[in-house]
Amino acid sequence: MRGEGCEARTGVGRGRVWGEGMDAGAGGAAGRGWLNGRRSVMDDALTQALAYAEKRTEDYTQDLLDFVAIPSVSTDPDHEQDIGAAAVWAAARLQRAGVPEVRAIDTPGHPVVVGRWQVDPSKPTIVIYGHYDVQPPDNLDLWETPPFEPEVREGKVFGRGASASKGSMLVPIQAVEAWASAAGAPPVNVTFVLEGEEVSLSPHLPTFLREHKEVLGGDLALSSDGAMFGADAPSLTVASRGNCGCEVVVQGAATDLHSGAYGGPVPNTLLALARILSSLHDMHGRVAVPGFYDGVHEPSEAVRAAIANIPFDGAVEAKALGLRSWIGEEGYTPQERMWVRPTLDATGLGGGYQGEGIKTVLPSEARAKISCRLVPGQDPERILGAIETFVHDRAPEGVTVHVTRLPGSARAYAMPLDHPALETAARSIEAVYGKRPFPMWMGATVPAAEQFHSILGMWCLYYAFAEFDNGQHTPNEFYRIDTLRRGTAATIRLLQALEATPLP
Amino acid sequence: MDDRLRAALDVIEARSGGYADDLAEFVRIPSISTAPEHGPDVAAAAVWVAARLQRAGFPEVRTVDTPGNAVVVGRWQVDPALPTVVIYGHYDVQPAEPLELWASPPFEPEVRDGRLYGRGASDDKGAVLVAMQAVEAWASAAGAPPVNVTFLVEGEEEIGSPHLPTFLREHEELLAGDLAISADGSMLGVEQPSLTVGNRGLAGCQIDVTGASSDLHSGMYGGVVPNPLEGLARILAAMHDDRGRITVPGFYDGVKEPSQAVRDAIAALPSDDAAELAAVGLASWTGEEGYSPLERRWVRPTFEVNGLWGGYQGEGVKTVLPNAAHAKITCRLVEGQDPDRVLDAIEAYVQQLTPAGLTASIERLPGKARAYEMPLDHPSIAIASGCLEEVYGKPPLLTWVGGTVPVASDFRSLLGMGCLYFAFGEPDNQIHAPNEFFRLETLRRGTLATARLLHAMAGQADALKRS
Repeated sequence: MRGEGCEARTGVGRGRVWGEGMDAGAGGAAGRGWLNGRRSVMDDALTQALAYAEKRTEDYTQDLLDFVAIPSVSTDPDHEQDIGAAAVWAAARLQRAGVPEVRAIDTPGHPVVVGRWQVDPSKPTIVIYGHYDVQPPDNLDLWETPPFEPEVREGKVFGRGASASKGSMLVPIQAVEAWASAAGAPPVNVTFVLEGEEVSLSPHLPTFLREHKEVLGGDLALSSDGAMFGADAPSLTVASRGNCGCEVVVQGAATDLHSGAYGGPVPNTLLALARILSSLHDMHGRVAVPGFYDGVHEPSEAVRAAIANIPFDGAVEAKALGLRSWIGEEGYTPQERMWVRPTLDATGLGGGYQGEGIKTVLPSEARAKISCRLVPGQDPERILGAIETFVHDRAPEGVTVHVTRLPGSARAYAMPLDHPALETAARSIEAVYGKRPFPMWMGATVPAAEQFHSILGMWCLYYAFAEFDNGQHTPNEFYRIDTLRRGTAATIRLLQALEATPLP
Repeated sequence: MDDRLRAALDVIEARSGGYADDLAEFVRIPSISTAPEHGPDVAAAAVWVAARLQRAGFPEVRTVDTPGNAVVVGRWQVDPALPTVVIYGHYDVQPAEPLELWASPPFEPEVRDGRLYGRGASDDKGAVLVAMQAVEAWASAAGAPPVNVTFLVEGEEEIGSPHLPTFLREHEELLAGDLAISADGSMLGVEQPSLTVGNRGLAGCQIDVTGASSDLHSGMYGGVVPNPLEGLARILAAMHDDRGRITVPGFYDGVKEPSQAVRDAIAALPSDDAAELAAVGLASWTGEEGYSPLERRWVRPTFEVNGLWGGYQGEGVKTVLPNAAHAKITCRLVEGQDPDRVLDAIEAYVQQLTPAGLTASIERLPGKARAYEMPLDHPSIAIASGCLEEVYGKPPLLTWVGGTVPVASDFRSLLGMGCLYFAFGEPDNQIHAPNEFFRLETLRRGTLATARLLHAMAGQADALKRS
């Protein structure tokens, strides 16, 4: 895990994992000595903002229900209009919160909603990232209630996107609104960047960030997309894996053929595809594609120790997922495999007859989708090139293979473990949750984090209020109403505390 | 030439212009037996066939219910002293997908360039009509066919005739005869008549591989959760060795090497590999080493994947770790293989190959059938050869069918009669594929040849009885 560039300014020793043995008073990142003159005023405002938010849980819930009811599935062209409606909804919500400059800016894909509140040029500017698009619901029969007819049950809002990421996106908007109500304005400059293509892995966000560099400049990015370890186990994510994907198409005869008439001398495209897919991993669970691990560093001892301390109960988790055992790369714990090791998976497969009964056909074509999770040091395009070469090498005689790169490549992201914003964030969360959050790694990809860092030159703090058990991307996704409440309170606190945090 | 035969052939020549209308009407009924939602269409096709038999003059026509689709039986007992032939065909058809590849809708038959296009036109609706038209012509010309004729037209061939064996067993007397004639099958070429002397059997199953209890996010769980798609791929990839042989232990038990006579007959067939390959769009054949491409297609068993799916197949990306993957498998079998034993062997092997953390289960699909081989010296082969030569101007070659007509082995084992393939589909007819068609000229020639066959068989009862 990278820690370069920050320790000199923060005084935190190299190699030390943030959070390790720190108590609430240590660290010094948010020392308040120089704030004496206005602390009481600000504390009053903080109290008022918190009190305002505390009374609005019902409104927050209704907002979330309204937002989730918009089926903004960005990967499905049929939902184009819904995407547009969700962008308008998000822009209107920012206006309602008091954000003075709100725009929905077109991209070659879906619009990006930008909301700016320039309070005072001498204050730090926080760029808050979120997304208003959602995963396809799929498997509709597995939903207890329809995915886009959200319903409250047992203190949770059920619906596609409730957790990823509509609920967690509303949290910082509500925090800014609370500050607006309590003090007329937030304690720092705030810029919201709400995109509609996260689920497609943000293909147009890099260009957008590059083209709007000046408007989007700031001192720290904050991602509302992500998740915490659990409702009673707050955590702060310090890294996320990258992603790249491709589709493999195997072609044999010019048309489907009768398996009786031609079975024997005609190449079976499905078997050919099976051969290719079966060779992607070796017997030790390592990805067998040559070059896949080029540039990948072993996790440091500090990282491995921090991961080992995360209260992840492998046995309980495996049981919950219906697994007999974890699988994967030898030499790493399941947590390490999920969070700091790169992976390759087939995510979709199709060819031939899939209906009831039998159809004795030799399909002329078979397709598979492959998706990789990447760690720092891996370049998505180089990985896709390596897969393409490998797939061609493995293609059995008699078939041709085409590899199409899927959009949405993203590099991995890792924040220095001793970045001062992490300590500030930890305190804000502890003040609300009563527990100090521990460092967490994310196996999934939020392309925005790496893009904010590489394009806009700011670190991106994951300050995301959702939990791993929310069923993001699976049927019966939900969001806890209590998380709306606690997240808003913690974000109200964070905005104030960031004013006094050095932001490298 | 016998006057009655002459008269029957004249009737056919006079009527052949109208045969296409009948075929179009029949093809218009989407009698897809693999799709339960087409149940009413399948039933409508049975009624259509029964009515057509009546129109042809059959005095005894019945549709007999089975636990599946009805069997249509038409009997014409002319004289107990004459031989009885049992003519087999089927009125059900394959699914039509992928629909977008059809030049005209599969169930809106259209005649283009002397061909009638539509699902089932060749397999087997055109072929069934050929045989009915032949009997009908005899009825018009001579008042009755020259032999006793029993039609047996079933509606479950495309799902492997699951209820036919029981039906044959339960109606042994009704269906008694000297020789079965299958109207389901294919000729070697449009201008090259042939007689099929064997077909492969079938055993099918679905393999389902499951992992976690639900789909999972590939970012959150990629790397630790067993992937059913890759697990199934590993299972399937292990089914053949590098020489194209099937690796399932016990798969080849009981399989005999093709005899020299069979290999010679196959080698004697005109075969233009380059043209065959071009026709299907392939650069080269693959498959089992040590056998010619035709031997691989006709007299060697196979293990094929017909369908494979799991996870996200839509547009773009969905980062999901699917919790299930599925494959549809069919094996083509040869003489000596028992479908149940083959499926047992596959099931055991799949369990052995299933990667840790995944569960595999096997569902046996209906439609299993043994292979069938007609002895090359059976007298019906010589009789049928003569009739085909009269119509086509050249003697037929002997060929095999790589596909499965379960009824052939069922007639032999359950009713004790041999089964002669007298069928007029051609290899370019796109059966089971988009743009299936049947030539109008084949409707005519097939009917002429069948009318001759009925005539030639009168008086041959004893010779035909040999099964």
